[in-house]
Amino acid sequence: MNQSLNSLSSSPLSAVSLPTPAQGRVRQVAIALQDLTFSYPDNPGILQGISTTICEGQRVGLIGHNGCGKTTLFMLLCGLLTPQSGTIHLFDRLVEPHQFRPELGFLFQDPEDQLFSPAVRDDIAFGPLNLGLSDAEVAERVEAALELTGIQALAGRPPHHLSGGEKQMVAIAGLMAMCPRILLYDEPTASLDLRTRRRLIQFLQKSDETLLLASHDLEFLLEVCDRVLLIDEGRIIADGHPFEVMDNQALMEKHGLEKPHSLVPHVEMHHRRAGPRSEAEML
Amino acid sequence: MAVSLHADVYIPGQSAVHRWAARPKLLSLLALMFAIATVRHLGLLPWVFGVVGSLYLWSQLPLTYVWRRLPYPGLFIVAMVGLLPWISGETILWQWSILALRLEGLQAAALIAGRFVAILTTGFVLLGTTPFLSLLEAMRSLGIPTLLTDMTLLTYRYLFDLANQLATMRQAMQLRGYGHSRQTLQRHWGWLAALFGSLLLRSYEQSQRVYSAMRLRGYGQHPPRAMTTDAGAERDSLAWPTILTLVAAASVVIWELSLPSL
Amino acid sequence: MHIPDGLLPASVCVAGYAITGGVTWVALKQINKTSNPQVEVPKAALLAAAFFVGSSLSLPVPPVSVHLVLNGLLGIVLGWYAWPAILIGLLLQAILLGHGGVTTLGVHAVMMGIPALLAGQLFQQRQRLGKSLPPKVALGLFSFVAGALGVGISVLIFLALVVFAMPSTLDQSAERGFLTALMVGHIPLIFLEGIFAVLLCFFLLRVKPELLER
Repeated sequence: MNQSLNSLSSSPLSAVSLPTPAQGRVRQVAIALQDLTFSYPDNPGILQGISTTICEGQRVGLIGHNGCGKTTLFMLLCGLLTPQSGTIHLFDRLVEPHQFRPELGFLFQDPEDQLFSPAVRDDIAFGPLNLGLSDAEVAERVEAALELTGIQALAGRPPHHLSGGEKQMVAIAGLMAMCPRILLYDEPTASLDLRTRRRLIQFLQKSDETLLLASHDLEFLLEVCDRVLLIDEGRIIADGHPFEVMDNQALMEKHGLEKPHSLVPHVEMHHRRAGPRSEAEML
Repeated sequence: MAVSLHADVYIPGQSAVHRWAARPKLLSLLALMFAIATVRHLGLLPWVFGVVGSLYLWSQLPLTYVWRRLPYPGLFIVAMVGLLPWISGETILWQWSILALRLEGLQAAALIAGRFVAILTTGFVLLGTTPFLSLLEAMRSLGIPTLLTDMTLLTYRYLFDLANQLATMRQAMQLRGYGHSRQTLQRHWGWLAALFGSLLLRSYEQSQRVYSAMRLRGYGQHPPRAMTTDAGAERDSLAWPTILTLVAAASVVIWELSLPSL
Repeated sequence: MHIPDGLLPASVCVAGYAITGGVTWVALKQINKTSNPQVEVPKAALLAAAFFVGSSLSLPVPPVSVHLVLNGLLGIVLGWYAWPAILIGLLLQAILLGHGGVTTLGVHAVMMGIPALLAGQLFQQRQRLGKSLPPKVALGLFSFVAGALGVGISVLIFLALVVFAMPSTLDQSAERGFLTALMVGHIPLIFLEGIFAVLLCFFLLRVKPELLER
């Protein structure tokens, strides 16, 4: 594993010169959804009357079966899709379709969708350059993002040559360089190995931004999130602490999910013992 | 080639044209299109439109199908021949100041536009009533090399994936502010070259995985077999649509040749 | 540089198909001789798809945006496979977009494909013809020339075809003026294609140089 990523867990936030939002201030509403409704031509009612608020600094997990509308919700938040009805406000400002909102960062499920520059440093600089910052400010932001994500050693390398986990950290660095206040993560652990996944968890546990994480990796959400929204049939079915929502086996199974294994009471021995199997077991 | 992709050129149906086997249909309609391209007498156009119109009615394709599709390629025709009535010919039909509408130019423009509409409509009949894979199979059966048809299939297969990838990459750029602030042309072009290069790279790497998957399923071990499609079983190998169309094509050519040369 | 159906005489369309058949035979022969088609076909197909899709990008040239043709670049990256790639691109354009160009498919293939092959061959000669130059300078120069040449020759063929299409009643001076205007109008495009080819080749050199080698 790349040595630079080993430094991730020991990199103190105080060493970062990126401005940290929401420290020491009263929490305001970061995201407000009001009666949000969206349909695709071949999938009507994918979101129906979704209403909720998310406060600054909250870490919210979105869970639901494939096709329940998690990614669609993210696309609506970014203004990439226009709702049929309802409104979205980010920090009290209405989200207009295709409007640029630098306070929002979106990590696509496949980091390759966001990486296109010939070098990591260039890719991270892309966002700050589009903010109209001076070259000096851009350089400062790039250095801070590299340090925050612990990928300084990768700065000169082409993103295309990196491993999946490294690409993801570069993509995150590219977002962090824009100093977002809200970050959307779409299936962030989908193609990560265990070590990289652990580093991502540690990284997210230290972040101050408002996070929305859509994931099938329920154990990951248990470790990172302080709130979970269960979505099915276009609606929010459950909204609460991850342990409370995901511990409800009947609820989870009814909506196409399973209770995370760590929440299953280990009373009965349900793990197979290592060792030779009897003839009866093999039959 | 500037493109935007649609998936609805083929419209399923039960007309005789839909049921006409792909290979004779392809050959007959191509022959008709080339026959129309030989027309140099304006007086022949009504007969051509009659033939093409009958074919279109026979295919039971909706009128909106051709109505929606003519305008874009029509722009090219207008751009090419729109000036002809004003600059070509001696006989002036109407004049206002320096603008003079000329008969010969008008005739030339009408002839070209007429051929264009007729050929395109014939093309729509072919494409609207034949699934893409059936067309490809027909071409393969006509001797188009396997390398070309294999490449066509693979290109077609991945076209939509790559279009989605490019769309997502552009969305990601926009979400990071691309187009939001003024940038130098050098930067814009650099970014777009990098975007295009990244697309090439991703498709190259994907192709290596595709090749590995194909090899694991026997690709390259045996001579390629002809692809069979279900669509072939539904098609009628009726002779009469083919004969009628070829007779119509021949009639256009013979009539054209029989008219005095211009 | 799209030539709609109905514009050209049938004889020119048929000649286009005939030449296309001949060049296809040559290209396939070269492909079979110089590479393992089984290995190269997936690569060529997906790169062709990427070119087809990528050509939809519009590049800003204030006050307008332009779509580039990219046939020179296609020749640089695909070599002999550029010919089937262009044929397939034209076929898919006719079939998937329903924009016509069926009778003129052969003519378009000649107009786009032969210059692509020439551009590719020229680019591959950079190590021999440009050996006195530093490698990066040679790359820049040859990619610019190949990119520009691809479109430049296409424009010349296009103009020749337009001459065929013009009616005999058109005044000679008007015809000359029209052709000159067309030619002059395409010069900036030729230059821009060269520039874009340079940018892309340098990107590929940094990230995946084997895409530039045969």
